[in-house]
Amino acid sequence: MATTSVVDRLRSRIGSTAPSISATVEAGHLKRFAEAIGDPNPRWLQEAPPTFLVALVPASVHLDEAEEYGRGWLNGGNRFEYIEPVRVGDRITATGRVADVYEKSGSSGSLLFIIFETEYTNQHGRAVARLRGTAIRR
Amino acid sequence: MKPKVGDELPELIKHPTTRQLVQYAGAQGDFYEIHYDQDFARGVGLPGVILHGLLKAAFLGQLVTDWLGEEGTLKTFEVSYRGTDVPGRPYRSRGRVTKVEGPHVELEVWGEDPDGNRTTVGSAAVEMGG
Repeated sequence: MATTSVVDRLRSRIGSTAPSISATVEAGHLKRFAEAIGDPNPRWLQEAPPTFLVALVPASVHLDEAEEYGRGWLNGGNRFEYIEPVRVGDRITATGRVADVYEKSGSSGSLLFIIFETEYTNQHGRAVARLRGTAIRR
Repeated sequence: MKPKVGDELPELIKHPTTRQLVQYAGAQGDFYEIHYDQDFARGVGLPGVILHGLLKAAFLGQLVTDWLGEEGTLKTFEVSYRGTDVPGRPYRSRGRVTKVEGPHVELEVWGEDPDGNRTTVGSAAVEMGG
C-alpha cells in the first residue's frame, strides 16, 4: 500500500518538537475573535475566551507530508487545560510537539490520526495553558 | 450558584451563516477551503462547506462561560467532533452537571443539529469560587 510509507515517515516524527512561536495578545484580535464566534460577553475585550489560543498561533504542528494520505483534513477533537488567564498584552509562546501518529480502519476506509500537544507560556515564563488536538486525514 | 448533579445549563442556540464561517476563518487564521469554497468542499466528499470544529467548540465554551460567569474558573474543556454541520442550520449547545466534589464541578456538554444528532460532545471541569 502506497500510504504505508507515509505513515512510517510520520510516525518517525512522534516526539519531535516544532520551533516555538511567540505572539502578543492584541485587543483588536480579541474583539474580532469574539465577534466571529458571536459571543458578546464584554469580558472578552480584556481576556481570552476558552478557545482563543488556537487563533493566536497555529494550533498544530503542520506536517505537509500528511497530505499525501487521503483526501482531506478533519478535526477530531481538542482538549484545553487552563492554568492562568490570558489577557490583552500578554506575550504568549507556544511550543508544539507531535504526540502520536496512528492509522485506523473504519467503515468508510482508513483514517490517519495525528495527535499534537501544545504548551503555552506567558512573558513571565509561566505555563498558562495546554492544548491536545487530534487531526485526521481521510 | 450551587451546582448540583443533573442541573442543566441554559441552552445556547446559534444560527451560523457562510458569512460567519468566513469571519471565523479570518479571526482564527484557518483558511482551509472546506469552510468557504463549496466546490472544494464537495470535491473532498463533504455536503458543502462545513462549520469549523473549533467554532463549535467556541459555542460550547460560551455555553459554559455564560453559565459560570465570575463564580468560578474553567480548568479543562474537551470536545470531540462526531459529525459535520453546515451553515444555515441552527446549532444548539447544551450541558449538564455530572459531578460535584466540593468546589470541583464537572460538566457534560454537547452540540446538536436540528435533527437532534450530537455532532459535538465534550466535557468541562470548573473550580467554583474563582
